Amino acid sequence: MKDAQALVVVVVDDDESVRESLPDLLREFGFTVLTFSSAGEFLASDALGRARCLVLDVVMPGMSGIDLQKELKSRGSKLPIIFITAQKDEAIRKRVLDQGAVDVLLKPFSDTALRDALSKATGGA
Amino acid sequence: MAAEPESSAEARHLRRCINDLVSVLALPATWTGGTPSQILSNSLDALVSLLRLDFAYARLNESSRANPTEIVRVSASEESRLQPEELREKLREWLENDERKLPAVVSETFGAHAITLVPVQLGLHAEIGMLVAGSRRTDFPQQTERLVLNVAVNQAAIGMQEANLLSAQRLVASELDQRVVQRTAELAARNEELKAEIAKRQAVAARLRHEEEELLRSEAHKAAILDSSLDCIVAIDHEGRITEFNPAAERTFGYERAAVVGKLLGDVIVPPSLRARHHSGFARHLITGESRVLGRRLEMTALCADGREIPVELTITRIRQEGPPSFTGYLRDITERKLNEDALLETHAKLARSEERWRSVFENSAVGVALSDLNSRLIAANPVFEKMLGYTEAELREMSFLDFTVEEDRESNRAMVRELVEGKRRQFQIEKRYRRKNGGVVSVRNTVSFVAGTEKQPGFLLALSEDVTERHLAEEALNETRNELAHMARVTALSTLTAAIAHEVNQPLSGIVTNASTCLRMLDADPPNLAGASETARRTIRDGNRASEVIARLRTLFSKSEPTFETFDLNDAVKEVLALSAAEMQRNRIVVQSELAAALPLVLGDRIQIQQVILNLVRNAWDAMSVVNDRPRELSIRTEHDGNNGVCLRVKDSGVGMDAEVEKKLFQAFHTTKSDGMGIGLSVSRSIVERHQGRLWAERNEGPGATFFLAIPAGTNTFV
Repeated sequence: MKDAQALVVVVVDDDESVRESLPDLLREFGFTVLTFSSAGEFLASDALGRARCLVLDVVMPGMSGIDLQKELKSRGSKLPIIFITAQKDEAIRKRVLDQGAVDVLLKPFSDTALRDALSKATGGA
Repeated sequence: MAAEPESSAEARHLRRCINDLVSVLALPATWTGGTPSQILSNSLDALVSLLRLDFAYARLNESSRANPTEIVRVSASEESRLQPEELREKLREWLENDERKLPAVVSETFGAHAITLVPVQLGLHAEIGMLVAGSRRTDFPQQTERLVLNVAVNQAAIGMQEANLLSAQRLVASELDQRVVQRTAELAARNEELKAEIAKRQAVAARLRHEEEELLRSEAHKAAILDSSLDCIVAIDHEGRITEFNPAAERTFGYERAAVVGKLLGDVIVPPSLRARHHSGFARHLITGESRVLGRRLEMTALCADGREIPVELTITRIRQEGPPSFTGYLRDITERKLNEDALLETHAKLARSEERWRSVFENSAVGVALSDLNSRLIAANPVFEKMLGYTEAELREMSFLDFTVEEDRESNRAMVRELVEGKRRQFQIEKRYRRKNGGVVSVRNTVSFVAGTEKQPGFLLALSEDVTERHLAEEALNETRNELAHMARVTALSTLTAAIAHEVNQPLSGIVTNASTCLRMLDADPPNLAGASETARRTIRDGNRASEVIARLRTLFSKSEPTFETFDLNDAVKEVLALSAAEMQRNRIVVQSELAAALPLVLGDRIQIQQVILNLVRNAWDAMSVVNDRPRELSIRTEHDGNNGVCLRVKDSGVGMDAEVEKKLFQAFHTTKSDGMGIGLSVSRSIVERHQGRLWAERNEGPGATFFLAIPAGTNTFV
């Protein structure tokens, strides 16, 4: 994991259990992790500049994950996004992939699926 | 035995003497009313016993010296063996010598025994007699014994003298009494003789007076009967001429006695139409002695002075006497009675018509009607009742209500009837089951009244019995349909909520998988991160529990189960519904505000059904807001006490609201404003709430949107 040593991954999810569990796993993978409970909170921080990958929940109160993707794109950001969602919705999946998302992971997802997606996002694999 | 000291023996001796004296002094108390010889016998007995004598003898100069009275008492001890007869002779001889010069103590021989004799005078100069005490003891008489003897003898002498005196007084008194009695008897006898004489004379006088009175009375009697009789009395002689015409007849027929006496009866009160028959009948009787009218009660018409003809009741008797016959007629005006009879007939007819009318109501009633006595024994039953049970009325009359009431329903029925009969209630309604003659069961709804008795008729019970078997079946079918609908509504909700469910379940599953993966990695590291692994394992377990809770909640909410009633907290029910809907509402950008009142009373009902209603209201609210983009989508849920010991839930949205038309049809089945809805949600919800004896209604908000209200009573109510 030495390649990933310095990489910062940002997790945005309103679900506390995700914000609690996912960073530990990401740290095990060797990333540095920043977490936010809403899109607004993330945009208000300086994390955008440091992040190499965004792990983003689709359904959130206020600005949803889809809205954030739109917003980042409008700002010209090329930050790779891995969507995670608890709802299987082919329409949404297709839409966000079309918009350039790296992957859409359906909760619950395996550590390998996440790892594969991260490798793809960071160009590591 | 050790010899006693002398002083001690002396003391014992003295004590005994004193005891003996006390005993002797107590004797006179028992002598009251006794004769001298009884007193003496008693004293002798006491002396023999107290002084341990072999005998005691007394001789009284009571009546004459030639034939003195003697009394002997011999000790009961066997050793004495003294013959009373021998004793008496010897002592008599001995005393005959000269009793006044007798020594104080003499020794004599009786048979083989040497006996010491102590003679004592009865009376100062032995005027009453002599007493002799005898003992074989050599130390007899000791000083103390002599004392006891003398005291006893003196007492006896005094007692006897008193007794003699008393009996002498008695004798005199009795002689006097007797003389008075005799004289009184003589006087009484003379008195009786005089009384008898007087009585005899009085009786003669009374008889004379009585005979006189009888004569007077008989005349007066006859006159009084004639005068005061309520009946008309008319007497005629053998020619048919009137000889008597009493005041009642005067009043009734309007003739004066003086004016009709001597006239032919046939010309006076017999109406012209009957005169020919009267005359021929009277003539025939006089010749043949036959009569169709004598001695019988007849009704005919009589003529009055003013020409009126009136109905009369008539009896004619022939007076038994010497010479030509005469007759007495007793007549009574029966005009009024005739009228009463007609009125009575009319009343009877009315009663019969009324009876018939009621009978027809009874027979043709659409409900079963049965009457029973106060012991529930049937008196009557109408055809509907017969048909309902399959028994004939005659069979029913042999039965009690309880006989065909099914076993389980009897006790409650019996209790109600008891209250009715005891006057605690006038009427009761009961739903129960009857066992038909053919074994089948009918459900009936009975209204039973107590009809109080009158003097003429005892009280009874009136039961109106309606066969509700069909209705019950229909109700059951309706309930079943209602439950089906409720289930269908739940399933509909389920499909709508699939997304929410997936989210709710997948969220914790995601946590589980992630934490478990992290945990394995931490354990595989070198060195293993045990603290981190333990933390992630703990989270895994927590999320696992959370997932199973969610699943359990969903399972109960969407499974089709029979309604079960329990008490529950409406707030908890609301929280669970909100938890299930949270994700969906989030997705729809709905802001939920809940205000749940503290210390809300528990409600009784089917928790799942009520939650189904709440879920339905929440879903309606978010549907109503799904097209709202120009204002916040606000859903407000509040619980509160309502005024009447109940609980109220209000669900307020800021959606499209409803117009008057929609409001009217809101709770009708299959009414819907939603393209994908079935329109059964609200109507089913309302029927669920009404089965909980609650209310469900909607109001338009002052601002945008609508508010739905759910009110249900707090937990003590019972459910049908």
